[in-house]
Amino acid sequence: MRYMLIHAADPELASKWDDEAQASFTSWLEETIRSGVNLQGSRLRPTADATTVKIRDGELIITDGPFAETKEQVAGYDVLECASMDEAVRWAGRHPSSWAGAIEVRALPERAPAEPLPEPGEGKIQYLMLVCTDPAVDAREFDRIEPVDPWVADTDGRGIRLYGSELEPPGSARTVRVRDSRAIVTDGPFAETKEQIAGFDVLECADLDEAIEVARRHPMARLGVLEVRPFWPFEED
Amino acid sequence: MADAFRQEWGRITAALIHQTGDWDLAEECAQDAFAQALRRWPRDGVPNRPGAWLMTVARNAAIDRLRRSSTYRAKVEELAVMATRETGTDSREPDGDDGAVPDERLRLIFTCCHPALAMEARVALTLRTLTGLSTAEIARAFLVPEATMAKRLVRAKHKIANARIPYRVPPADALPERMPGVLAVLYLVFNEGYSASAGENLIRRDLCDQAVALAQVLAELLPGEPEPKGLLALMLFQRSRQTARVNDRGDLVTLEDQDRARWDQVQIGLARRHLEEALAARRPGQYQIQAAIAGCHAAAATAQATDWPMIARLYQHLADVTGSPVVELNRAVAVAMSDGPAAGLALLRRLEADGALAGCYLLPATRADLLRRLGRNEEAASAYEEAAALAGNGPERRFLNARLAEVRSRPT
Repeated sequence: MRYMLIHAADPELASKWDDEAQASFTSWLEETIRSGVNLQGSRLRPTADATTVKIRDGELIITDGPFAETKEQVAGYDVLECASMDEAVRWAGRHPSSWAGAIEVRALPERAPAEPLPEPGEGKIQYLMLVCTDPAVDAREFDRIEPVDPWVADTDGRGIRLYGSELEPPGSARTVRVRDSRAIVTDGPFAETKEQIAGFDVLECADLDEAIEVARRHPMARLGVLEVRPFWPFEED
Repeated sequence: MADAFRQEWGRITAALIHQTGDWDLAEECAQDAFAQALRRWPRDGVPNRPGAWLMTVARNAAIDRLRRSSTYRAKVEELAVMATRETGTDSREPDGDDGAVPDERLRLIFTCCHPALAMEARVALTLRTLTGLSTAEIARAFLVPEATMAKRLVRAKHKIANARIPYRVPPADALPERMPGVLAVLYLVFNEGYSASAGENLIRRDLCDQAVALAQVLAELLPGEPEPKGLLALMLFQRSRQTARVNDRGDLVTLEDQDRARWDQVQIGLARRHLEEALAARRPGQYQIQAAIAGCHAAAATAQATDWPMIARLYQHLADVTGSPVVELNRAVAVAMSDGPAAGLALLRRLEADGALAGCYLLPATRADLLRRLGRNEEAASAYEEAAALAGNGPERRFLNARLAEVRSRPT
């Protein structure tokens, strides 16, 4: 089974990410990669660099900032191959993100592929696109949502979509926070907002305009919101 | 010098950002060039082509700075090639003759006004990079601390770089979607300046002129687009009334009571020309319609002589385009003027029932005015009270309280 770890950083706990945490992170990465658990992942640029896209009444609405204003802010993700939710939660508890904030663990549906990410192409930039729900939209609207397959086929064919999947509903999520060396695991997502992450895609584009063009064509643009967040490569600070 | 500044600053930063991709470097080099001009022009005289002189000095400053950081070798070469091509020599001395410099300001405008940037960031970045207002001046103009404004600018530039907002004019098929965002930034700047009272700082009132200059650039660089011309016309019509709309005490004077002899006919003439050009394209938009309404007012010798039925029709048209409740409110006023206050009140009641303008002082203020005209003084007084309570502390509130005193003193 595949699981997504959504790293949510708490600005008030930023000081917890010290040299020791950095060392723990490096060994976590090394261990998960060597054991074949870690399929892919990336640090993300801060929420200040996020852009949110939606379509309402046929009009494209682009806004500066993340899909929801939360105390803890999405700062990165990993996709792990694990035998069970419990194993994924254990890995989460060993990642320093869980003591500088929280890690939300979400199961991917069975059909999600197990593929690593390629290096960015020459002159390209990679974005994580979070597919999110909008509580203002009537849930009954979802009965009429267009299938996502044509969008996937098109973006895959153009080499823009590198990976992506829906997530199992937030109700089945577990969130890990380590405080005073003790792991606190709660049911549900990291943020108690009505907006929730329903899926994600990794996009490779020439620039933000291309990412916005791709996002607006996603069926969820009409019923939810799409947050486009640039990857933050480790060699850049 | 001030004219050269306004004209050339944006041209220089736009070209340097295009060539180096470095926003801070572009600003610093433009600053260098203008500082040199301030030192040298009074002594040596103003060069024949001040713009070309400034561009050459700024580009040389960029080459100097880039040479000091080895990572930018490719960019230095590109810049040096451009300098040679344009001046015909690699001379380090500006000779004031560097051929036609491509105008990159359109790229800069569309990048600064990109919808992925917050509105306040778009406004700040546009003013900083295109007009050369300093961070301190922009902060003063928008009544925020300088540190706040500096942070806003840094954050916007970071987002452009990190999220990779492209430095380009959107393709033709994306223009209709992107244009309104750009025009909204310019109109917001204009209105900030226009609503500044006489007592406020000069830099704030100067925003009107900055906005007009930017609209002019946009209209010139996009000659096939009617809405920038419409916006320019609208601004000029409004600015023509700037001195008449406030009295000596700083109180607002309504359009009806303004001394029309003080309206600036030169600006009205210019506005009319831009509006005619825009309308000739036969692609109406909200700014052209607003300018046409302003044009109706400008054409009337007295408030009574205003073509109110025409204005009411234009507002109907505008309401169809924008769907804005404020437009509907203005339409109610125009209908009241053309068909009588009772007809206007009927439209207002519908708007009040709709609730879209709840909490906005304009709604009770308009109702109060129509009731006053009908001689229903007691009802008018309570509507004025309601409006004044919602109006904040500006000249609007003083005006409403003055009207309140007026209707209270009338016999009931």
